[in-house]
Amino acid sequence: MAEIYLNQIAHGRSGDKGDTSNVCIFARKPEYYEVIKREVTVQKVHEHFGDMVQGEIVRYEIPSLLGFNFVMKHALGGGATLSLRLDSLGKSMGSAFMRMKINFDEAQEN
Amino acid sequence: MKKVIIGGGQGFWGDSNDAAVHMVKHGGLDYMACDYLAELTLSIMARQKLRNPQAGYARDFLGLLNECITDAQDKGVRILSNAGGMNIEACVKEIGSIFRSKGLSGRKIGYVLGDDMTGEIDRMIAEGITFDNIDGVGDFNEIKDKIVNANVYYGHEPIIECLSGDADVIVTGRATDSTLFLSPLMYELGIKEDDWTNIARGIMTGHLLECGGQGAGGNFDYGWRDVPDMDNLGFPIAEFSMNDLIITKAPNCGGLITEQSCKEQLLYEIHNPASYVTPDAIADISKATLTQVGKDRVAVGGIQGKKRTDTLKLSIGYHAGYKVSTMLSFAWPDAYEKAQKAADILMKKMKRKNLKAEDIRIDYIGLNSLHLGVANMDPSHVKDLNEVVLRVAIRTKDKHEAEKIIPEVAPLQLNGPPGASFFGGRAKVQEVIGLWPTLIPRDSVKLTSNIITIE
Repeated sequence: MAEIYLNQIAHGRSGDKGDTSNVCIFARKPEYYEVIKREVTVQKVHEHFGDMVQGEIVRYEIPSLLGFNFVMKHALGGGATLSLRLDSLGKSMGSAFMRMKINFDEAQEN
Repeated sequence: MKKVIIGGGQGFWGDSNDAAVHMVKHGGLDYMACDYLAELTLSIMARQKLRNPQAGYARDFLGLLNECITDAQDKGVRILSNAGGMNIEACVKEIGSIFRSKGLSGRKIGYVLGDDMTGEIDRMIAEGITFDNIDGVGDFNEIKDKIVNANVYYGHEPIIECLSGDADVIVTGRATDSTLFLSPLMYELGIKEDDWTNIARGIMTGHLLECGGQGAGGNFDYGWRDVPDMDNLGFPIAEFSMNDLIITKAPNCGGLITEQSCKEQLLYEIHNPASYVTPDAIADISKATLTQVGKDRVAVGGIQGKKRTDTLKLSIGYHAGYKVSTMLSFAWPDAYEKAQKAADILMKKMKRKNLKAEDIRIDYIGLNSLHLGVANMDPSHVKDLNEVVLRVAIRTKDKHEAEKIIPEVAPLQLNGPPGASFFGGRAKVQEVIGLWPTLIPRDSVKLTSNIITIE
C-alpha cells in the first residue's frame, strides 16, 4: 500500500471555540469514506499533532455527508487572544490535519 | 407553500459590503441578516466604549446601510443585525440619521436591550449562580475582579417582537448569529415555539448563511481553483418553507453553491453534530443530507430538532494581561539559521533584562508559524529556504514587561546576523482578553424589545 497525504482523498475546514479546534473532513468520493474511517482514527490524529493538541480528541461520524468531525481540546495554544500563535483561531488547523499520511491504494480500495 | 427568502450579508466585523449590496438589489430577498460578532468582539467593543461613550458597536453596519438602505426599502427587504454590540442605542441613533439623510421618514428601527449583563454579576452571585466554566477549567474567583464584559447569547423571542412591530431594521447585541435568521422564518411561517425540528431547520439555515462568503465558495478547500469570479463573490441566500430548504445565491455574481461548499460550512465550528445547542433549540445534523438540485442550488434535508435547554450561555471577557509580537526578516543563504541566531540573541537580552513572561513563542514565518509541529522540517528543505521571518511573541502580566522586547528588535539589523530586515514599524503592546463561557438560568435574563419611528 502507498502512503499519501489525506488531502488527496479528503477536504475540510477548521474553526475555533475558545481553545477548542474542530476540523471537519469529507471524502472526495463516496468510496473514500471507509478509507478515512479506517485510517484517520483518534489515536492517529493524536500521534500526528503531538504537542500541538494537548487535550482530548473526539471523532464524530456523519455518513450521510461522507464526513467526520474532529473536536480537539486545548489545541490552539490557549485560544483567542491568550494564544501567542500567529494563527490563534486555528484557520490553518484544517490544512495541518490534511498533512496526515495515510495508507491508501486506489486499485486495492476499489 | 409560502417561502421566505433570506440572505447572509456579512460574515464578520470587517467583511466587505459588496455582496450584501448586490443581494439586496438582485437577490429577491425578503430579509437580510448581518452577523458582526465573534467570540471576542464584544470585549473589544467594551474597551472602545470605555474610551469613547459613543463607540462600542460595529460602525461598519452604518456604511453598509448607507449603501443599501434605499434599495432595501424600495424592495421591501428587512434587515437584521447584531451590529449593536456593546452600545446598541448609539448604533440605533446613527441609523436614524442615515434614514433621515435618505428621506426615509416614518420607517421603524427595532432594537433589543438586556444582553449586557456586566453590571448584573454581583446580583447573580447573590442569587447563588456560580459561573462555573463550561470547559471545566479555572476558578471564577480569580477572574471576578477583572471582568471586561459579560453578555448573554439569546434567541428569537425579542426579535420576533420587533418584527411584529413592523421594524424595517432590527439591531441587537449578543443575539446568536443563527437566531438573526431563524426569527424572521418563525415570524413569517408561524413556526410554533415547540416545533423543535422546524426551529432547528431555521437555526441551521442561519448557520449556513452567517459566515457570508464562506458559505458560497470562499475558504473552499474542496476546489478553490474552480470558484468563479472570486473578486465578485456572492454570499449565500436561503429559500425556506415548511417543506423545503434551498441554499442558493444571487444571479450575476461569483462564487458557487455546491454540496461540498455547503458541507464545509454546515460543520464549521460545530462540536457534536447530534447536539448543536443554541438558545432556540438543540439541532441534530448527524443525519443531514445535501443534494444538488440545480446550478448553485442545494437542498438541505434530514435536520432534526430537540427541546431547548433551561440555561443560556453567558460569555464573560476578562482582562488577562498583555502581549506583543515582533518580526524580523532574513534571506538566503542560511535564512533559518540566521533567524534562529537572532532569536537566541533576543532571548539572552530578555534574560539580562529580567523579563517576566507568562508565555513566549518563537516561530519562523515561511517555515513553521502555521503548521507548527507538523510542518516539513526536513533539513534539505530548511537549509535552502529563500527567506524566513522571525516572529517572537510574549505574553506578560504587566504592560512594561511586554514593552521590554520592542526596542531590541530593529537594532539586530546592525548588531545581529547578516541581512536582517526590520519592517512594519515598532510593535505595539496589546491587551489580552480571556474568555470565560458559563451557563446561567434563562429566568435571570431580562430582555426588552424597543421600536422607534423615524420622524
